[in-house]
Amino acid sequence: MTRNGETVKWINARRRHPLAGYAVVVLALALLGGVYSVVAPDNADRAQAQAQSADADIYEDVDISNGKQIFTQSCASCHGMGGEGTENGPSLVGVGAASVDFQVSTGRMPSMDPDVQMPRKEPVYDREETADLAAYISEEFGGGPAIPLDAPGSEPERAEFEDGAAGDEAYEEALETYEAEYEAYVSGGDIDAGQTLYLTNCAQCHSWSGTGGALTDGHYAPPIGEATPRQLYEAMLTGPGAMPVFDETTVTPEEKQDIITHVEELQMEADAGGIFNLNRIGQAAEGFIAWTIGIGLIIAAAVWITAKQRAHD
Amino acid sequence: MTENPQAPNSGPDPAANEASGTGGERVIGTPTGGTAGPTGMTADAPQESTPSSAHEGPYPPEETHLRTEEEQRRGERIAALWFVIAFLAGVGFIVSYFLFPPGPDGPAVGDPSTGQIANIAMGGTLTVALFAIGAGMTVWVRRVIPHYEVASPYDELPSDEQEKSSFGEFFMRGANESGFTRRPLMRRTLFAAMLPLGVAPIVLLRDTGPLPGDILKQTMWEDGMHMVVEGTSRRIRAEDLATPGGMITALPENPEDPEHPVSLNDQSKTVIILIKMRPDDFDSEMTEEQLGWTHNGIIAYSKICTHVGCPAALYEPTTHRILCPCHQSTFDAANAAKVVFGPAHRPLPILPIRVDDEGYLVAAGDFSSPVGPTFWDAERDNYLAERED
Amino acid sequence: MSTQPPKALASAGNYLDDRFHLAKTGEKNLRKVFPNHWSFMLGEIALYSFIILIITGVFLSIWFKPSMQEVIYDGAYTRLQGVEMSEAYASTLYIMFEVRGGNLIRQIHHWAALIFVGALVAHMLRVFFTGSFRKPRELNWLIGVLIFIVAILEGLFGYSLPDDMPSGMGVRILQGVLLSLPVIGPHLSFFLFGGEFPGEDIISRLYLLHILVLPGILLALITAHIFILWHQKHTQYPGPRRTEKQVVGSPMYPAFAVKGGAFFFFTFAVIAGMSAIIQVNPIHLFGPFTPTSITSGLQPDWYMGFMEGSLRIFPDWFDFQVAGYAIPTGVLIPALVIPGILFTGLAVWPFLEQWITGDKRHHNVADRPRNAPVRTGLGVAGIVFYGVLWAAGANDVIAETFSISLYHTTYFFRVTLILGPILGFIITKRICLGLQRRDRETLEHGYESGVIQQLPGGRFIEVHQPSSAETVDTLRAKDEPVPAPDDTTDDQGIPNPKRSGLRGRLWLALNHWYTKDNVPVSHVEPGAHHHADHGAAGTNSGREGPRHR
Repeated sequence: MTRNGETVKWINARRRHPLAGYAVVVLALALLGGVYSVVAPDNADRAQAQAQSADADIYEDVDISNGKQIFTQSCASCHGMGGEGTENGPSLVGVGAASVDFQVSTGRMPSMDPDVQMPRKEPVYDREETADLAAYISEEFGGGPAIPLDAPGSEPERAEFEDGAAGDEAYEEALETYEAEYEAYVSGGDIDAGQTLYLTNCAQCHSWSGTGGALTDGHYAPPIGEATPRQLYEAMLTGPGAMPVFDETTVTPEEKQDIITHVEELQMEADAGGIFNLNRIGQAAEGFIAWTIGIGLIIAAAVWITAKQRAHD
Repeated sequence: MTENPQAPNSGPDPAANEASGTGGERVIGTPTGGTAGPTGMTADAPQESTPSSAHEGPYPPEETHLRTEEEQRRGERIAALWFVIAFLAGVGFIVSYFLFPPGPDGPAVGDPSTGQIANIAMGGTLTVALFAIGAGMTVWVRRVIPHYEVASPYDELPSDEQEKSSFGEFFMRGANESGFTRRPLMRRTLFAAMLPLGVAPIVLLRDTGPLPGDILKQTMWEDGMHMVVEGTSRRIRAEDLATPGGMITALPENPEDPEHPVSLNDQSKTVIILIKMRPDDFDSEMTEEQLGWTHNGIIAYSKICTHVGCPAALYEPTTHRILCPCHQSTFDAANAAKVVFGPAHRPLPILPIRVDDEGYLVAAGDFSSPVGPTFWDAERDNYLAERED
Repeated sequence: MSTQPPKALASAGNYLDDRFHLAKTGEKNLRKVFPNHWSFMLGEIALYSFIILIITGVFLSIWFKPSMQEVIYDGAYTRLQGVEMSEAYASTLYIMFEVRGGNLIRQIHHWAALIFVGALVAHMLRVFFTGSFRKPRELNWLIGVLIFIVAILEGLFGYSLPDDMPSGMGVRILQGVLLSLPVIGPHLSFFLFGGEFPGEDIISRLYLLHILVLPGILLALITAHIFILWHQKHTQYPGPRRTEKQVVGSPMYPAFAVKGGAFFFFTFAVIAGMSAIIQVNPIHLFGPFTPTSITSGLQPDWYMGFMEGSLRIFPDWFDFQVAGYAIPTGVLIPALVIPGILFTGLAVWPFLEQWITGDKRHHNVADRPRNAPVRTGLGVAGIVFYGVLWAAGANDVIAETFSISLYHTTYFFRVTLILGPILGFIITKRICLGLQRRDRETLEHGYESGVIQQLPGGRFIEVHQPSSAETVDTLRAKDEPVPAPDDTTDDQGIPNPKRSGLRGRLWLALNHWYTKDNVPVSHVEPGAHHHADHGAAGTNSGREGPRHR
């Protein structure tokens, strides 16, 4: 009680200080910053997400036995040795290489908890291992769409190359090739057609800005901002999880490229209205900010204007 | 201006500052005016120049807590500083407007990243200018203008009885003499005369739109009409929807101009989602007739929710649910879009489909029931048909 | 020093006075007193944001074209070049990307709208909880409720004008609600839209409503609101010299005019600051409206959120047909009946409360919320009710953020919508009564000084200091509820006709409910127990010792 009383007294004494009004405003601004840091997007993450690589030779030169080994170690316990599926995991018969590449390269598989929807995370296997696994599963259990190699996949990583200067050089070169390919692909589509297709077939789940949305039973459509063009392509092709399939015949490869172009361009576009884009969530976030920051700051000003003054209590 | 302690600070507010030394804010000397009221004291009331110790403010001294001269001087400087900042920021606003002139490729702000900078530059300078004016005025009112605690009486709102009865009497005398109360024929015909004119503005609104008639119950879909992918206007074959779990939004092909989509009015009624399922996924509750509207596991539902009309397009192949993202009405795609959750009441209408000779998907007629939000007679025809059976 | 106005000013003043006889009224009005408390400035936020809305709205209407003519966009915003869109959407893009400062003005307009309605709510809550709506201010409260309703419609129509994807969906939902009206629904919809949805007329008609009809009504209502306020003067919080007969505060001239001016600039600065750095309603990213596309996470602006939530959680269980004609209660009740109850409740409350309490006196001193526990409890219940509907309007965002099943959020909100307000009422009322008890203690004993003293007997006490005059005045100003007189029967045992029958008994019950819980202070002598308490040490009246002394 006494201690609290003293704190209150301390505040009371200073509340009437001539600078108190400014302090209130500064505090409110600090609050603005604090709230923003919670809701703000991580721009660095997003920029980095765009950079990935398409490198066909990895897929030409696969090591199926390595794929089999990975399958036995990491997949068979849930999907069954013969890929026939168990109660913990669906059958892999006929899923195809694109599906495997999507699940593994987005880090969703191998999953530690088959009961919940896996979020996107760092992949467990590198590009070569993923290619080996995909080749094994598609060869062993058959069927399914192949990996769409035209769409750029993950960016090359330094670890994939030898150590030393030669490795550095090879890495730099691979990265450059990748970036050129990526540029060419994501600027190659027709944005208008892509936007229409996206808004009529994708936005209902992933939202206009690609931030995702709720589905039934606690599932959700994930945010797609970090996906590589290849992963976007594979998702449309194979319909992972609760997502419908968009066959090559209903949405042609060119049209898929249009959609990917629209998605990537939208992600990259600067926010014309200001540096804080409220995560592009939309009106729910705007209302929250209007009440907390807007009305909060204005009331802080009212408190300053009407605050009692030291000499005149 | 405030070097001279007797100089007025603002308007007729000359503060007698000597008396307000370190602690004594209340100036003694002027007669107590009691509670301030509209006493008829106009600007020229205190005629003679009073001695410096006298209170010359507009309100009684005990309700006026003057600032010390030192505080006023400090206040003036701070306020002036704010106003200078505001002036500079205001100039900055105009400058930043001209910083973004149109270039050869069009307006500089046409590029979102330049637009962002322009927005921050103009908005930022404007904000600083406005804030600084507000801050300067606040400093003025808190440091220079005295702190007032002026009392002012609330008006006695009800008039006294005499005034009231006088008014009542006056009013009725007038009404009687005018004949309004005594000449009912005139009064009533006047009211009657007003009536049609009062209704006239509402009648004029009649031509704001046509009568609904049966328009809401029909769409342009008819037997043999091709369906095209929305966004590309490409016809769809049945085998295009190859994989179970597949889905696509489709529209009727524009009969006049196959390259372009149909009008927005028609889009809002005809838009469908084509869903491909394994034929054995269909629920056993579905009738033969309903199954007859499908083709090889492909079923076409109206995309417009029967609740309030949002596109209900969120299809989950794993559960066969179609969810409307607006209000979460959920329909079972495997069971003729029966409502399984949420506020919608009617199932989504089904568009009967078949393939033509070339293998293209075409409609086999209009929707099974009226499209879109449920309206007054949406189910009336259905009801009459059932009664006849 | 001269108190004569300068010559130029005097002659201008004389010029006006010769024509309008202004000296006396002018002085009276410049002497108008404003109570000095921040919560009395909430309404001003609304007033100032309304002014900002008018200024920015005029600028926007210079370039905006309210037409649904389909055009191919070829403006400066490259991403949408070649896209087919309405002229309304294209001209909004023109404002954003070809008018320098256009996007800033648009964002100021949007933020100001969000803050305008927010300030209306905040102001209304202040007036409600302090009982400032009581006689003689009931009619001004009614005008305020009307302003609130018109402001919401004004916002909804403005949100719809750019014809972007979410705004078009807002119009679609409006049309769906219209259609659901029995008998006249389809007709109303056809008349409003000039035919089928979306037609080619709706934007220009909403534009007419948004820039002419509704602002005109708002302007008239706001003017009336301020004139009535000016005439009746502000309420004030209790305190020294502040009585039902006189108001104490800053006079308009010269102090409050400057304060109000400063506050206008602060309000504008905050809104401009937000518009400079926080992107709002980025319609260029949404894409143009088509009736066939939709986004997840679709939300209206916040003030429509409660209606959106109401539409989301109300089930279809009560839909029925009469001879094949549909009565879609799943739309009618959430979209019309629930908001109707909310607004009607707001509108009639002053009259209902007056009927229940039988209090016909004039009130100029505001209640402290704790001193009207039932009203405060009902207010909190109302806030909870509104808040649950509002949160339910974002249930998909909640479900996604916390990975909860979407349907479970719906069930949760359905239950909370009923239980929440009841709990809110009970808890609030208890807190109010607790605070009343503490007030009485403070009045009796003064405040705890924080100084610990050891008595000669070795016991420690906390010394109580007499409360300041201001505190005593504030506490004594409590307006005690008057319970109904015991007049159900007269001396001879004849039942009082006014207290029997359904109306009489309902009145008795409500009056009892409203007045029964009260911690009276009128008999308490300030500081009366002060000395007694400290003289007679011991476990006085069983209160916990350490806390109290």
